[in-house]
Amino acid sequence: MATRAVEAGAAGHGAEPRGKRTDQGEATYLVAIAEALWEEMERDERVFLLGEDIGVYGGAFKVTEGFIERFGPSRVMDTPIVEETIVGAALGAAMEGLRPVAEFQYADFMSSGYDEITTAMARYHYRSGVPVPVVLRGPSGGGVRASSFHSTNPEPWLSQAPGLKVICPSFPSDAKGLLKAAIRDDNPCVFLEHKWIYRRIKEIVSDDPDHLVPIGKADVKREGTDVSVIAHGMMVHLALEAAETLANEGIQVEVLDLRTVQPLDVEAILATVTKTSRAVVLHESQRYLGTGAEVASLIAQEAFESLDAPVVRLSPPHVPVPFSPPLEDAYLPQVADIEDAIRKLSAW
Amino acid sequence: MTAVKMPQLGETVIEGTILKWLKQEGDQVAVDEPLFEISTDKVDTEVPSSAAGTLTKILVPEGETVAVGTELAEISEGGAAGAEAPGAASQLAADGSGEAETSSATAGGDDAPSAPAPPAASAPPAASAPPAAPAPPAAPAPPAAPAPAAAASPPAEPAETAPSRMAASTQTALPDRGPRSQILSPLVRKLANEHAVDLSQVSGTGTGGRITKNDVLGFVETQGAAAPAPSTPAAAPAARPAQPAPAPATAPAQPAPAAAAAVAQPAAAMGGAEEIVPVSHIRRTIAQHMKASLEISARAWNAVEVNMENVARLRERTKDAFKAREGFGLTYMPFVTRAVSEALLAHPMVNSELRGDEIAVKHFVNIGIAVSYDEGLIVPVLKGSDTMNLLGIARGINDLATRARAKKLLPDEVHGGTFTITNPGPFGSLISVPIINQPQTGILGFDTVERRPVVIDDTIAIRHMVYISMSWDHRVIDGALASQFLARVKQNLETWDFAEDLAL
Repeated sequence: MATRAVEAGAAGHGAEPRGKRTDQGEATYLVAIAEALWEEMERDERVFLLGEDIGVYGGAFKVTEGFIERFGPSRVMDTPIVEETIVGAALGAAMEGLRPVAEFQYADFMSSGYDEITTAMARYHYRSGVPVPVVLRGPSGGGVRASSFHSTNPEPWLSQAPGLKVICPSFPSDAKGLLKAAIRDDNPCVFLEHKWIYRRIKEIVSDDPDHLVPIGKADVKREGTDVSVIAHGMMVHLALEAAETLANEGIQVEVLDLRTVQPLDVEAILATVTKTSRAVVLHESQRYLGTGAEVASLIAQEAFESLDAPVVRLSPPHVPVPFSPPLEDAYLPQVADIEDAIRKLSAW
Repeated sequence: MTAVKMPQLGETVIEGTILKWLKQEGDQVAVDEPLFEISTDKVDTEVPSSAAGTLTKILVPEGETVAVGTELAEISEGGAAGAEAPGAASQLAADGSGEAETSSATAGGDDAPSAPAPPAASAPPAASAPPAAPAPPAAPAPPAAPAPAAAASPPAEPAETAPSRMAASTQTALPDRGPRSQILSPLVRKLANEHAVDLSQVSGTGTGGRITKNDVLGFVETQGAAAPAPSTPAAAPAARPAQPAPAPATAPAQPAPAAAAAVAQPAAAMGGAEEIVPVSHIRRTIAQHMKASLEISARAWNAVEVNMENVARLRERTKDAFKAREGFGLTYMPFVTRAVSEALLAHPMVNSELRGDEIAVKHFVNIGIAVSYDEGLIVPVLKGSDTMNLLGIARGINDLATRARAKKLLPDEVHGGTFTITNPGPFGSLISVPIINQPQTGILGFDTVERRPVVIDDTIAIRHMVYISMSWDHRVIDGALASQFLARVKQNLETWDFAEDLAL
């Protein structure tokens, strides 16, 4: 399973990302994402990358480091700092038969391309019948003291646009398999990479170039019988830590990692709630009209008779992500908050 | 409309447990197509459908035990099912009460539920709602459903049964056992109805005296539920696959509920170090039979040591050719069964059964062969083994054991044994003290055959040796006969030439 650690060593330019695995063969989440991109570009020459400073500079977080030397500037394309243009260019290229993967320096800036994403890209497959195989990647989420312009979780905004798939993996293996599945999907996918996880979490990932993780399938990361925590992204890791502590108190927590928030894995959500009868929906994105509201509503409607206690939402307050470290800590659900909520729910 | 009933599988079977429905409501089913799996005292088996059509209603969910003849399901001879897709129905009707109330309960600034607050103010939706209110979101659709063929078929199932289920659980006033003792969660209401539990008898361990899921399930476990009410198969949570089976008529008195609870309590407090596994039907049956046997019989025990050298050599010599021709290996069991069958004819009192003031002495031999499989132990019966040669016995045992492990035995194949052989040898056991399979008089244990130094005349030789033992009922026979019987088995195995039976 995954272990927490800091940074794997980096290989030189032009070398494939697998060289950046640890001596034990583990890949960080960041390296796993780079491997997915690299392998898909090797597999299918229609796949190309575009984004700001992704070429010589290797991207804001160095995901595409070394790619331009291998694939050249026509497939690792630096763009101006205009997100609307990046999305528009990717959309046009996809409709002409290419399979673009666009990088955003931060997922916050997807809002700068919002009209192209939600009005054009999300709807054109539906409107015209022409496939739109675009992937928009971007680092999302907080916990790294990056303030309100660089810590957003935009998944609720994007999940509300019919036509988009929104993917938020929390483990390296899932990230690699889901990104490859997204690149091969004929619909536009938003792939949100949690920047707090990038270099913290590593695990052995598959070497099989065709190992895909299906979009829209959740995964039970820890089995339990008493309370279900339904989460995605960074919150999965905090939930697993809380579950470990609570196991010593005799509370067996099941952690369901949604992996994809659009579409939701309804079956898996209902299965875990039917099993435990108690649910905490935990998320880092906006609370109001957010992922937790959607999941809680689903449970209330479809699993009412399985509930032995109210569904609990645990998420930040309705304010921008603060810059001050103590305030950011107060804003984000912490492991202690999760433990506390589970304890109360367990005793309800 | 054809009613599907719990079949009578074997003459002594009075009830059966539905293990699994192989078809769901709305599925098409053909005559003789497997419809469900049942478990009885004797056997687990698939039951084929007696009619063709649509399975319109399942009346007894998986895990429930009902008497022979109970109606289990209905099959409509018509074409496609009349019922609408339940998912679609709930989608349409759903934007109503259930959802809104749950949201409001959790929308407070502090995300965790405010558990210990006074009942009136903080009562979550389920608490204060009058019985009729929490109707599930699948509201009854207008009876004039668009499907033309649907007129005769019942409306969507939830509309019919759900409101009455909800209402029934709140009929009894609950005693005041704390500020939150009146709160009933949706799950608690549902479980109480399914198990026909009177909630006023259940004390709550939740905050403020609330009755939790585990309180209801624990109550059912220790008190024994009344006959469970029919409910939809999907409703039963996966956490409790098997209902406790009612005590069989033959079993000794059940321990008092209080005692059972006292035993169960410490286990619950152990936490993560132990795992709680539900008792399967087969496990429960074995437990009852074994305990009852020890109480009924006056068990005594003898053993002899048998030189299997001749048998071992024959087996060694013929095993490849036998396997090639028969498709299975030749074990020691057919030899032992052959030798025992003959000895039982010679000493029929060992092959008898005590019935009150009489002893039924049997001059025919049906050998029960204990077969272990994933879920426990079953004893198929090789009928007329005294009339078979070694090859017939080998084929018969192989057939029974193979089908026993695949759970394909027919009910009559586990009835009518006159004597039983158990063979713990494959696992290395040297000598065993088996429990008698009632109402028989003896059970023979055949353990591991191994090469040992033995004295033959005045020399020490290495021979294939085995201990053969027998538990026997001292009410029926005495030690002298038991010893004579074992001596006969020993003599048969050591002196017979089995070779010609194999035709190899």
